[in-house]
Parts: sequence; C-alpha cells; structure tokens
Amino acid sequence: MREEKRRGVKNILLFILVLILALIFVFPVILTVLGSIYNDNRLSIDGYYQLLLNCFPFFGFFWNSAIYTVAITGGVLLISIPAAFSFKFARFKGKKITFLIYIINMMMPFQVMVLPNYIGLRDLGIINTPWAIILPMFFSPFGVVVTHQYMRELDSSLIEAARLETNSVFKVLINCVIPQVKVCIVAVGLFVFADAWNMVEQPLLYVNDDKLRNLSAFIANTENFDPAVMLPASVIFLIPVFLCYLLFHEELKEGLKV
Amino acid sequence: MLSMNRLKQKKKTLSWNTRSKLLLLPSLIGSIIFFFWPYIRVLYYSVIDNQFSRKIVGLSNYMKTLSNPYFQLAMKNSLLLILIGVPIIVILAIVISLLITYQLYKFPRLRDAFILPMLIPTASIVVIWQILFERSTSVMPIYALFVWKYIGICIILLTAALTTIDREVYEAAKIDGAKIGTIYRKITVPMIAPTIFFIVLLSIVNSFKIFKESYLYYGNKYPPNHSYTLQYYMNNNFLKFDYQALATSSILTSFLVLLIVVIGLRTQRRFQS
Repeated sequence: MREEKRRGVKNILLFILVLILALIFVFPVILTVLGSIYNDNRLSIDGYYQLLLNCFPFFGFFWNSAIYTVAITGGVLLISIPAAFSFKFARFKGKKITFLIYIINMMMPFQVMVLPNYIGLRDLGIINTPWAIILPMFFSPFGVVVTHQYMRELDSSLIEAARLETNSVFKVLINCVIPQVKVCIVAVGLFVFADAWNMVEQPLLYVNDDKLRNLSAFIANTENFDPAVMLPASVIFLIPVFLCYLLFHEELKEGLKV
Repeated sequence: MLSMNRLKQKKKTLSWNTRSKLLLLPSLIGSIIFFFWPYIRVLYYSVIDNQFSRKIVGLSNYMKTLSNPYFQLAMKNSLLLILIGVPIIVILAIVISLLITYQLYKFPRLRDAFILPMLIPTASIVVIWQILFERSTSVMPIYALFVWKYIGICIILLTAALTTIDREVYEAAKIDGAKIGTIYRKITVPMIAPTIFFIVLLSIVNSFKIFKESYLYYGNKYPPNHSYTLQYYMNNNFLKFDYQALATSSILTSFLVLLIVVIGLRTQRRFQS
C-alpha cells in the first residue's frame, strides 16, 4: 500500500518535471504568437494591419516559399517512392552498393554538396532561376532511404499476388504498395515540406535575384522590417507548417522508423 | 513506322524486373547530375591550381585550407558541437522517451511538445530567441536552438523503437525484484541500442546544419567567433568564386562525416556481437 503511494507521488513529480520541460519547448512558439498580438501594453492586431498594408514584399516572398515548398514536396515524393520500390523489389547488379551510396549521400551535410550542386546547376544553365532552388532538392536521398526502410516489412508475395491482376508496374505501385506505406509517405512529405519551408542556404547561394528568394532568406535580413511587424510576420510564416502538423502529426509519429 | 512498331513491341516484351528497375532511373539520373558526378569533379578541382591552367598541384590546396584560421575555427566549432551538443541531445532524448513511454503513458500529448519544434521554421522563432538570450555572449543560444530543433526526430525514433519491446520482459524483471532504473539500464537501453546509435549519427549530421540557425540568429553579419560554422566559410569562398578552397573543404568535410559514420557502424556491430 505504502509502496504504491510512494510510486504515485514519484509519478506526479516526474509528470511535473516533464510537463515543465514540455512547456519550455513550446514556450518560444507561444511567446511568438502572444508577442504578435501584444502591442504597447495592450492587445491589438495593429502589427498584422501594418504588415498587410506596408510590407508588400513579404507576400511575394511568402508566395515564393509556398511555390518552392509545394514543388519540392511533390517532386521528392514522385521521384522517391518509385525509387524505393525499385530498391526493394527489383533485382539488379550493384543494388547494395548503390543503396549504400544513397545512405552516405543522405548523411552528407549541405556544406559538402554546395559546390557539387552548383556545378550541376551551372552545367544545366539554370543558375539564378527558380529551378536552381527546386531541382537539386528533388533528388535528396532522404525520401528514398526512409521509404525503403519502411517497405522492409512488405513481402514480395504481395507483389506476386497483385501481378495476377495487372501487368503494369505503376498499377501495382499505386494500388498495392502505396496503400501499405501511406503513413510513411505522409511522414516523409511532412518532413520534406518543413525542410523546404525552412531552407536558407540554397536561395542565398544559387540565385542572385532578390525577387527569387524565399521568406526564410528575407526574414533573415531584419533591416527589411519595421520591428513592429517582425512577430506578426513570424506567426504568418509558421502557420502553414503548423497546420500541416495538426493534420498529420499522427503519421509523423508512426511513419518514421529505423 | 516500322521502327515505331518495333519499339512498341519491345516495350511490351520488357520483363517485369526491367520495368521495376526503370523506376529507379529518375532518381538515379538526378543524383548523378547533382551529386555523384559533380562530387568526382570536385575531387579533381581540389588537386588543381586553378580553373584555367588546371595544373595538378597535389595536396597543396589541402595544406592551404587546413592552415586557414577560419577553416580551423569552423572545424573547432563543429567538433565542439558534436562533443557537447550531441551527447546532451541524445541523453535528454533517451530520458524523455523512457519517461513518456513507461511512466507517463497516460499523457501521450506530452510527446507532441517535443516534436513540434522540428517542424517550426527557425526564422519564425528567431525574434523571440534574440529576446530570450539578449544578454548572452556565449554559444548558449545556438546550442539551445540545436537541442530545441533536433530533439524531436530523436524522440520519434526512440519512442517508435520502445513500443516494439514486449512488455512481458518488464513484468518478468519486476517479479525478480529489479529496480526500475536497473531495468532501464540493463534491459531497455541494450534493446534499443541500434536506434540509439542511429540517433547519435543523425544528431552529428544535424549538427552540421546549425549554420542556418546561426545565420538567422545573427542576421547577415559576421557572427561571434564561437558561432562561426563551416557554412560561413563556404559562403565567403562562394562569393569569391574560390573553387579550390570550396572543393577542398567539401572533400575534407565529406571525409570527416564518412569517418564518423564508419566508426559509428563499426562500434554498433561490435556492440551487437
């Protein structure tokens, strides 16, 4: 009896400890939101008005961020899922070593790939276009590796069964494999979405034209802003990822495994 | 017309395996264009004197980069973050994951608080960060951002691994009278060792991404020395179009990462056997 009581007290203390930690983690986000509607010691949404009325470039950059992010997320999924399928179900020489190279590529920080990506872009003649920001991201190995890990549990008998119905690889992929790994695909999509929304280096290095940059790169230059609109701008900036998080957080927690 | 027909016929006769193989092609071609082939060319750039005369100069570019004080500073900061920041993030993630999975499983929402930051764009909380750490002249704000931002993925992977452990293992240990701390140390942690190794590697890789946080926190000015990262060095050489400096630091960084990954995998293999 006493033992149980002691455990109960201990659990409450642990709960409070973790709760405090959790609050510390969400604190910056809450402060940002509160700060954006708190002006001159009173609640007001003047900051948002000012942003709307006086800060036109903001919305252009928001739009850029949106286009880049949606394009990158779509492209990554379109390219990674078939590739992961291929790595899992096709038989070919050098599969293991190719996959190993993909894993190593995934581990490489952007610093390593700055120059290689730039050379690829230069050869294609698309420096200083939106493609310079979008295209290299399409081929980021993250989606391929993670989706492949998740497909590990799939059995090839599944494919054999589906092949009795159709002879199209695409139909098997879409009707039979994708439903099985849907959770993982959503998680990868969300991850890539957040990453692309947050990217800074690529827009800084691969385009010279300010108009082509995204919101992250724009917000970094605080001199662009009246301090009063800083926080409202931050809040609007985090709304899209926050919405995605609310919609898909279950998948995010279930879909990533190693 | 004839060849078209033949092509069609050929297409029809492609085997299933060949067609599955072809699905890899877009990804492979893109990777070759943007990663693999240019990486080999970067390797070549790192041993020539400049883009025009293209004379092979051996390792002298490497000597130059290694003796560059800014490169040394950036490397020192990267290694410090790996030696201090990574253990903090990994240990904190393990403790939080254990508590959330076993002691506080009635409150699964707690986990969300730690996962949310990984999606929040750094640019949107950086203003608050500057206010919170206004008087800090140390490396604290950047380390705090690092832990804040990259702990979520560790907790996701750890809790996913923990939920696959059979609860009966614990019941048995409890009946034998083992203390909860001992159970964690002796049973749980070894069982999720592969995941722990993976999050150590992942956190090391993530530690190289910290430029973004540093850049956003300090704006496009020169950062204090303790927060100067490799990417600053790269960006400066990018503006100067100094291909040789860029190439050598790319190659050196990739070797460093490769070394860390190989050591990590080796240790894991030894640990498991």
